[in-house]
Amino acid sequence: MSTAAIAILVLTVTFVLLLVLNVPVAFCMGISTLLSVLVIGNLPSFLIVAQKMATGIDSFALLAIPFFILSGLLMGHGGIAKRLIDFANVIVGRFRGGLAFVNIMTCMLFGSISGSAAAAVSSVGGFMIPLMNKMGYHRDFNASTSITAATTGLLIPPSNVMIVYSLATGGMVSIAAIFIAGILPGVLVGLALMVVAGIISSRRNYGKGEHFGPKEVVIRFVKAVPALLLIIIVLGGILGGIFTATEASAIAVVYAFILSVFVYREVKIKELPAIVLQCAVTTAVVMILVATSMAMSWFLAYQNIPQNISAFLLGLTNNKVAILLIINLILLAVGTFMDMTPAVLIFTPIFLPIVKDLGIHPLHFGIIMIMNLCIGLCTPPVGTCLFLGCGIAKTTVTKIIRHLLPFFAAMIVVLLICTYAPQISLVLPRLFGFIK
Amino acid sequence: MFSKVKKILDRSLEVLVTVSMAVLVVDVVWQVFTRYVLRDPSDWTEELATFLMIWVGLLGASVALNRGAHLGIDYFVLKLSAKKRLYTELFVFFCVAVFSLLVLVIGGIDLVRITMQTNQIPPALGAKVGLKMWHVYLALPISGFFLVLYSTEFFIERIVALIEGKYVEQPHDFESTAAMD
Repeated sequence: MSTAAIAILVLTVTFVLLLVLNVPVAFCMGISTLLSVLVIGNLPSFLIVAQKMATGIDSFALLAIPFFILSGLLMGHGGIAKRLIDFANVIVGRFRGGLAFVNIMTCMLFGSISGSAAAAVSSVGGFMIPLMNKMGYHRDFNASTSITAATTGLLIPPSNVMIVYSLATGGMVSIAAIFIAGILPGVLVGLALMVVAGIISSRRNYGKGEHFGPKEVVIRFVKAVPALLLIIIVLGGILGGIFTATEASAIAVVYAFILSVFVYREVKIKELPAIVLQCAVTTAVVMILVATSMAMSWFLAYQNIPQNISAFLLGLTNNKVAILLIINLILLAVGTFMDMTPAVLIFTPIFLPIVKDLGIHPLHFGIIMIMNLCIGLCTPPVGTCLFLGCGIAKTTVTKIIRHLLPFFAAMIVVLLICTYAPQISLVLPRLFGFIK
Repeated sequence: MFSKVKKILDRSLEVLVTVSMAVLVVDVVWQVFTRYVLRDPSDWTEELATFLMIWVGLLGASVALNRGAHLGIDYFVLKLSAKKRLYTELFVFFCVAVFSLLVLVIGGIDLVRITMQTNQIPPALGAKVGLKMWHVYLALPISGFFLVLYSTEFFIERIVALIEGKYVEQPHDFESTAAMD
């Protein structure tokens, strides 16, 4: 066996072994990279890994992550979610199963001001699940709706995980471009979830919501304006090319700060240091992941691994449909165990060269990957949204899983549609001149 | 005595990270303000922001270790008995300590030394306040030091627990991990 082959074997075996033993993913990547660099031999191993880690996080674009996390933490206290709920209620509340629609639509609106699905589960779900329980909806149905709908926020920009994807592609796609690409797929997932919720609601004969008079509609709209305005500033700013994503994220922080501290008065000044620290810790977790993943993907590229995997897979079949299906299945399996950020950081450098050889646009692939891993956020054994939602609804994973299945089906159908219809992801970026 | 020192250390590290994060926010807000309101974009804010980010990221990593916020796959080890799980935790903290020592401390010191020798200077802040790149990269060995310290402490805690036949509750900071997804 050649040294290169041994190095790869060492990389894979130690990585999987460490992962199974619950070594933090960032250290799994760092240690297995270090060992394989040592196997190659002729390099200053410690220095080179340290250097790749340091230069890997030396990026202004990465700053959007802590800022969207911070604005998410500030907005997570309910004031904004409550007003968005009232607004959604006048639009979709009147139908049978109205509150389920309100829940989903609010998650989508919330997703367009926050970059995290977990924030949507806790702030929108935290309000909607108890309300739906009171109005006679089944508790596990309510939790399922919140859990799955929250993931639309990761497709609808801004989105933390999309920033990570942009970084993992090595700048091949810009943050703004992937943000825009996510809009239609995110809306599509939301609509599919509404269809499922609608069918279930009419079968179980859940109640219709109230009709609102024109005066009430106007009042609720006006009250939601501050929250809706943030959507326009952040999205409009990025779409129109006025702000960079990092600048938009800084504006979102200032806006969320003013809204939640001075206008809605839900965050006290003395709570701020704890919120900032929590943001810093989350940021650090992501940064250390990014740092070691950059070292690992440097090594993979240095040894031409992605090209070799690509040649191997394309040797088996050069059928685009089949390869995309294989990749989707791998990601679905990975997503059930692994958190989203490490999964994106590990698999983007491996899969991207393969799909590029097949003529798939990196933006389109990003959407496939993120949509796919969103399903993983709602599935056991590891699923952030699932656990948060179960906690809020005071139910268990075992009880809820049957109710989640129809929603999973809808998400998988949309995933397949978006996988095989690239236009859904590419039409908006093209329209706004991000791709030719 | 020992727990008192640790408490002071924890707290000062947390304060340092919080303050850096707060400065980071103000810095980028200032950048946006100078560009769009004053129409005279500041030239040093972007550099300062990326440097602070490296410090927050690396020092925050040791705070995250202390709080149990790092992402791992605990599915398999949770199936083990408490005693066997202690052995896996011993192994985890051993790995973290060794990697931090070799790469962040030793590799980091090398990196600092080389950037010092080649005298790399960041364009804006170098001219303004005499900042050198090796100041920025000092974050690696310092963060490595804290990571080694914390993981050694947890390692010893587990050994004591094994000897005394007790189980140590591993902290798990779900909130910090959830804020990203």
